[in-house]
Amino acid sequence: MTVTADRRRTNRSPYLLLIPAVGILVIGMGYPLVWQVVTSMQEYGLQQQFGKPAPFVLFDNYLALAGNADLWAVVARSIAFCLLTAVATLAVGLLLALLMSAVGRAPRIILQIALLLAWSMPVVAAMTVWIWLFDRRRGAVNYLLDLVPGVEMNRFNWLESPTTFFIVASVIVIWMSVPFVAFSSYAGLTQVSDEVLEAAQLDGANGRQRFFGIILPMIKPVIAIVFLLQIIWDLRVFTQITMLQDAGSKSGDFDLLGTYIYKLGTKSQDFGMASAVSILVLAITIVLSWFYIRSLLKEDES
Amino acid sequence: MRRRIIVVAAATAAALVLAGCSSADSPEESGGTDITLWLNGGDTPDELRDYLTSEYEDATGGTLTIEEQSWTDALAKLTTALPDADNTPDVVEIGNTWAPTFTYAGAFTDLSDMYDELGGDALLPSFVEVGSVDGAEYALPYYFGSRYMFYRKDVWEKAGVTVPTTLTEFNETAAALKTDDQSGFYFGGEDWRNGVSWVFANGGELAVKDGDEWKSTLSDPNTVTGLEQLQTLFADASLAPVTESDSTPWVNLNNNETTGAPEAATIIAPGWAHWSIGDAAPDPEDPTKVVNTWNDAVFGTFVLPGVDGGVAPVFAGGSNIAISAASKNQESSKELLKIVFSDEYQKMLGENGLGPANLDFASSLGDDQFATALIESAAESKLTPAAPGWAAVEGSGLLEEFFGKVNGGGDVEELATEYDAKIDELING
Amino acid sequence: MRARTSRALLGALAILVALLWVFPVYWMANSSLLPNTTLQSFIPTFVPFGGSLDNFAAALADGEFYAALGMSVSITLIAVFFCLIFAFFAAVAISRFRFRGRKSFIVAVLVVQMLPAEGLFIAQYKMVASVHLLDSVIGVSVIYIAAVVPFTIWMLRGFVTGVPADLEEAAMVDGLSRFGAFMRITFPLLAPGLVASGVYAFLQAWNEFTVALVLLPSESAQTLPLWLRGFVQASATRETDWGQVMAASTLVAVPVIVFFLIVQGRLTSGLVSGAVKG
Repeated sequence: MTVTADRRRTNRSPYLLLIPAVGILVIGMGYPLVWQVVTSMQEYGLQQQFGKPAPFVLFDNYLALAGNADLWAVVARSIAFCLLTAVATLAVGLLLALLMSAVGRAPRIILQIALLLAWSMPVVAAMTVWIWLFDRRRGAVNYLLDLVPGVEMNRFNWLESPTTFFIVASVIVIWMSVPFVAFSSYAGLTQVSDEVLEAAQLDGANGRQRFFGIILPMIKPVIAIVFLLQIIWDLRVFTQITMLQDAGSKSGDFDLLGTYIYKLGTKSQDFGMASAVSILVLAITIVLSWFYIRSLLKEDES
Repeated sequence: MRRRIIVVAAATAAALVLAGCSSADSPEESGGTDITLWLNGGDTPDELRDYLTSEYEDATGGTLTIEEQSWTDALAKLTTALPDADNTPDVVEIGNTWAPTFTYAGAFTDLSDMYDELGGDALLPSFVEVGSVDGAEYALPYYFGSRYMFYRKDVWEKAGVTVPTTLTEFNETAAALKTDDQSGFYFGGEDWRNGVSWVFANGGELAVKDGDEWKSTLSDPNTVTGLEQLQTLFADASLAPVTESDSTPWVNLNNNETTGAPEAATIIAPGWAHWSIGDAAPDPEDPTKVVNTWNDAVFGTFVLPGVDGGVAPVFAGGSNIAISAASKNQESSKELLKIVFSDEYQKMLGENGLGPANLDFASSLGDDQFATALIESAAESKLTPAAPGWAAVEGSGLLEEFFGKVNGGGDVEELATEYDAKIDELING
Repeated sequence: MRARTSRALLGALAILVALLWVFPVYWMANSSLLPNTTLQSFIPTFVPFGGSLDNFAAALADGEFYAALGMSVSITLIAVFFCLIFAFFAAVAISRFRFRGRKSFIVAVLVVQMLPAEGLFIAQYKMVASVHLLDSVIGVSVIYIAAVVPFTIWMLRGFVTGVPADLEEAAMVDGLSRFGAFMRITFPLLAPGLVASGVYAFLQAWNEFTVALVLLPSESAQTLPLWLRGFVQASATRETDWGQVMAASTLVAVPVIVFFLIVQGRLTSGLVSGAVKG
């Protein structure tokens, strides 16, 4: 790849190519990121917005976080929600991808269009519809479930208890995320060479063995990155939760990390603490995805 | 490569030019300054907004732009916009519960020298107080509202109950009216703005100033009494979800189209709700819409009675109005305030069911049952604590959470102590 | 024969899943055609008999939709355009070259995506306000580009690595310069990948809400998600007109869906041609 005559040019080109991306990241993210780190070590509230100087308290905010039982409840809830939803999304997406590759052209296109429609619906619009569907008095979900004999769902308030609240949230997030997983997995599946599969079939491998022995290893890179992205996004999920809270309860029992930070910042105006929690979330995400990052860097080297 | 760079550069330049053209830059009118007023929610009717705009133009030659912020997003926007001299609104409506916090933070201009000109002592004292610091006035009252009870005369008659004269009687009546399908008195579990009336009625407070610091007083014995009363009332009289807070109450008093009966026999609502309560009929102008017209035979009003008769202190609705300290248009903003506090505008507020800041004009509210109820309940009404950090307390959702748990049946004293601690962390700003 | 029946059965299953999945979208369209009074009833109406376009007329009445549409389109197109270019350069850099700082850059790209956005809005506001770019297309676009570039770099990297460098080498042996080889051979193969990444970037920018809320405070400069949220807020004196809300939601969703259907052919082929590699 490195032709000797080009060596001097090749050495500078990558840096030149990187300038726009790095530039925009520094502009768009650089200042906010630095601000966030600095503010997390200050006492910064509404009065500081209006000019009062912000005292440096170094790690006091972080220490306060460590002792805040409510925060750790939110962290635990967020991790649980994130893992359950991401795994479910992955499973359903993968199954749909397999379905897509096993059916004829017409059903496949129909399914893909349906998934595309769901994927392209703006979050605010989709949330409006979903909240409507789960409305306790006029929602279609309660109505349809009530029709099932023996199930009493009239006026069941899905948003009343945290458990059912997060079930609804999970269903919605899965509905929104599966299309991406399904399409990516499908792309991966189409790259698995048919000849290899046929050869294996001739050798006597049954469906399960073909799946676990050939297909899965080949699409592992795709699944890994898709899973990682789901984890990152599901940990930070915000719009869906905040809109569900608007329709249900604003109590802290229904918070995940995204809404918790937003409430700290926008509502309670404690920006110092909000920044500290954001850094904490960043740390948690890095921890959760550490394995993947490491394997990615190792694979890159080889 | 070069060709691509040129294309990219041209595109960037074009985009920048386009963007420059699209940012909102209103040219200055000759003579007057253009200013912006932020109003919260839809409380100020269009008629009044038009009046302000035309009067301002007549008085100064400048254009007044009115922007409406939703109550939910207003706090975030005020926080970012008010300190920014280039982008701050000039005059803002500020909810009375947020006024102390922003005033303490230095968001507003000192209006003390205009105070007498704008109305002086005739201005609603409790609202003036929450907008003042160290004797100087920063945020003045804009309008006041109040809450009172609306009830279904037909349902009450059938149950054989009459309008109560004490709070205990009310609690009992409401419980007696409850059936499996209908609330005797509908209110959500997390609805603290209405629930706090029971706290106030029993002499309790949400917080008091102790020396220099504010302290949350949920565990105060009087407060606890009020909360326990509320807890019993919720269990006995309301079918609303325990997670519901301030909702659209009139929906529950009007007949439900499918069942033909109302969800509740009684509700508590701000005064302007009466426009939406009544018999449903298609709007003659627009058949897809429904209009509710008040029917005196079916619907009625009364004010929440106090513990020993009289009137119970309810939560005073309403807003203050202030000039942003960072605004570059101080003089023009003051002109707008003069219009707001003019006799004409104050009368218009009253005529539209909004309690005028200047009590001399309270009579413009009229003398129908709504005006009477409004004035009666407002006279005894109370505000939230004028603490520097109160906006943060409200924004944090702690009160919704607390009331929700109380109405969910928790141990009131235990919860009160727990939440006192949480609120104390925020209340002093 | 067995294979064919099971294929048919699976086909039926796929269609069933499709119908279930698309139900909320259908519900939105259905509700947008019904008047609010019907929607308030306790018995949901499943098919809009006797429906009308009144809700749409009402939602479009004050003309704010068109302004918001213009805003969203400008911001999204600018953001996607520059995001693709910047990300493409970066993707080529990290997949075709070995250089110092390469690994750090890759890790940085990953980590930047993990930062929660909710805590950044004050800093972003201050930054954008200080250069007088609030309420402007450019201000929001810059933030959006920065927000979407990391993921796009990631996606494009997969596509670029999917095209072996040998193809370029072969073309160079034939006499083309390195750049010429890249443009003639590799770039056309990457076109579907660019489309796929562009579509995803489009989606993210089009639907973005929290940054827009803070950077576009003025009513005259709203994007579509902000405009829609305005509909959903039940103001103190107005009850939510659900029919209008659904109509407004449909209006916001339609441009995206149309755009999607147009490019979906290229999209699926783009993904199919060896897209998201680890």
